[in-house]
Amino acid sequence: MALMNTLEVRDLSYSYPDGKPALRGVSMHAAGGECVGIVGPNGAGKSTLLLHLNGILPEDDSRQGEVVICGERITNSNLHEVHRMVGLLFQDPDDQLFCPTVSEDVAFGPAQFGFPAAEIDRIVRESLRQVGLEGFERRSPHHLSGGEKQRVCLAGILACNPSILVLDEPTSDLDPRGRRELARLIRGLPATRVIASHDLELVLDLCSRVYLLDGGEVVASGAAAEILSDEELMVAHGLEKPHSLQHRHPHT
Amino acid sequence: MHIPDGFLDLKTAVATGVLSAAAVGISLRRLNGSLPRKKVPLMGLAGAFVFAAQMVNFPVAGGTSGHLMGGVLVAVLLGPAAGVVVITSVLIVQCLLFADGGIVALGANVFNMGVIGSAGGYAIYRGVRLVFRNERGRYLAVVLAAWGSTVLAAVCCAGELAWSGTVPWTSAFPAMTNVHMLIAIGEAVISSLAYSAIAAARPDLVAENPRSAPVHEGRDLLLYGALITAGVVLFISPFASRWPDGLEAVAAKLGFESTAIARPLVTSPLDGYTIPGLGSPVAATVIAGLAGTCIVFAGGFLLARLLAGRSRHEA
Amino acid sequence: MRHEYIDRYARLDSPVHRLPPGLKLAIALALVISTVMVPISAIPYFAACALLLLIVIFLAHLPFRFVALRLLTLEPLAGGVGILALMQHDGLLMLIRILVKSNLCLLTMIVLSNTTPFDGILGVLRSLRVPQLLVTVLALMYRYVFLLIDQSERMTRARKSRTFAPRRGGRWKTAAGIVGQLFIRSTERAERIYAAMSARGWR
Repeated sequence: MALMNTLEVRDLSYSYPDGKPALRGVSMHAAGGECVGIVGPNGAGKSTLLLHLNGILPEDDSRQGEVVICGERITNSNLHEVHRMVGLLFQDPDDQLFCPTVSEDVAFGPAQFGFPAAEIDRIVRESLRQVGLEGFERRSPHHLSGGEKQRVCLAGILACNPSILVLDEPTSDLDPRGRRELARLIRGLPATRVIASHDLELVLDLCSRVYLLDGGEVVASGAAAEILSDEELMVAHGLEKPHSLQHRHPHT
Repeated sequence: MHIPDGFLDLKTAVATGVLSAAAVGISLRRLNGSLPRKKVPLMGLAGAFVFAAQMVNFPVAGGTSGHLMGGVLVAVLLGPAAGVVVITSVLIVQCLLFADGGIVALGANVFNMGVIGSAGGYAIYRGVRLVFRNERGRYLAVVLAAWGSTVLAAVCCAGELAWSGTVPWTSAFPAMTNVHMLIAIGEAVISSLAYSAIAAARPDLVAENPRSAPVHEGRDLLLYGALITAGVVLFISPFASRWPDGLEAVAAKLGFESTAIARPLVTSPLDGYTIPGLGSPVAATVIAGLAGTCIVFAGGFLLARLLAGRSRHEA
Repeated sequence: MRHEYIDRYARLDSPVHRLPPGLKLAIALALVISTVMVPISAIPYFAACALLLLIVIFLAHLPFRFVALRLLTLEPLAGGVGILALMQHDGLLMLIRILVKSNLCLLTMIVLSNTTPFDGILGVLRSLRVPQLLVTVLALMYRYVFLLIDQSERMTRARKSRTFAPRRGGRWKTAAGIVGQLFIRSTERAERIYAAMSARGWR
């Protein structure tokens, strides 16, 4: 079906509880299986937008516009289904890893979504294998490195088998090797992916299209290589052209 | 004030355990009915907060340092039922993860620091607020609640040790109470300063809207009050009893006679209430306690004026 | 991270560590209760108890030095109460009683907490039908206590590096400032954790 795994945001506006506008008329979409990037300076509204994609921020007066997941508009009554379909990776892994052990944490989502108990054990093992952390089941989060925490968080989301994956700064805590491995992992996933990041090399590497957000508005959108190589545009919005696009050898 | 195992006998451990279990049960029931789901993670984080806050040291007299206990601060910020559950969780984790504070003594520790130190402190806070309703009254209430509940918890702790037959009341009561009257000043000052820092940075976290004090709060405070009274009757009154027969029996049992070496420090009109000669340190402590309360009240008033003025400027 | 020593040994692998947590908790509780109850004249009991605990420490590969250091933290308190206890008939006997009993009980709890991960104990509490809210609070607390201790140590260091020869009043204010800041950060983190829990279907 054409609507499977698709995500669409239509004219979304949102203000913080103190009345400050955070998003102004944002529209974006991601087709089934596509990987879309969201870039922009700090405070542009990236994280706020991502929270809306999962229905975390409530539907009330402070929010106008709509978010449509797999053809279904997010309302306050279908949140549980939305949480099931959209996996959200938060910026700080410590916020997301709230259980005393790794296995309990990975099992949390499947248990909440009512997966059968016998199935959950298998899912936990399989998800940890997917992120390269076999045998970490009994470890406690406070004994893990930043990169390991980030990967456990991802395992916890993969365990719910979401059709759309939303990632907020997935590489912020990783060393170069961890980053490379995570990029490979994300590239191999069949789900529709939305990635917000300052790591423009990662965005360039993984995403076909990007949206440039500033001041709560989409200021530009288009093919990743095109937007990110527009030096003037990047600098005007507090970013910079990725290195890999900077040094073009004239003879090649 | 964490009592380790081996200091209390089984009778005291069971009695404090029953009182504490009742208080924790009441608190959990209240929270199950009224705590919004959104606030559940905050309860766990508040426990971790108290734990970490207890590791922040500040200097006290003579090169020693003290730390916050935090029961009043948590109860004033999150309510008495949350205060009891949070402090109980802190004590359980300290006992089972760090072997700090005994497991048989857990009931006594929960009673002293959770029930008295948090819910009891909150009752004092509410009482003071009824009289002093302005901004200054808040800080004065925090100061008096922190001081009063810490001293009462120490008195109860002394009573539990004496009831267990570990330490004679005539030495436990003055020692525990006098030391904790000083420690409680730290608790009162740090609690009110921290409260004012929170109020300045995040006024929404300390907002006292009329709906935040629900109708059932009065009933809860009566229940906590009844449990604390039961504890005081059990652990303290046998020693403070004015009936000579009862006292003599207790004195004989605990071997008070041998402490006659302790010479009276002051003679006071209160002597008549206790065994002559032996009662003096006790009476002196009671007088010191009354004087201390007056001094803390005056000091708290000045501090409250200062803090209320400051938060108005910063807000 | 200084606090890491706290449960560093709880996840070792040894015959003692592999025992079910419920069994260990029950044995420890029984040992502590009997140590509290048995009269001090029963010297063979206390000797047997101490020997048993030493054997367990050996089997569990716990470093004796570490255990001894943890045990020493009790002594100032036991000593203080001991001095008060001396002021009575048979005071010396009472002092010995306090020292023997409290050290044995503390040793038992040190062995328990360093051979049993806290999540195992949480499992036992859950199966004993301890109210769900209390278990959840304990689980979250165990998860985040290390993080908050770290945070408070970083704040303390940062403040120290900016103050010179502080007066006592100033240091009280600093301590209170750190406590206030810690509380604010805890509430903010609690909000983010709630969002993360909801995102994975918590209801």
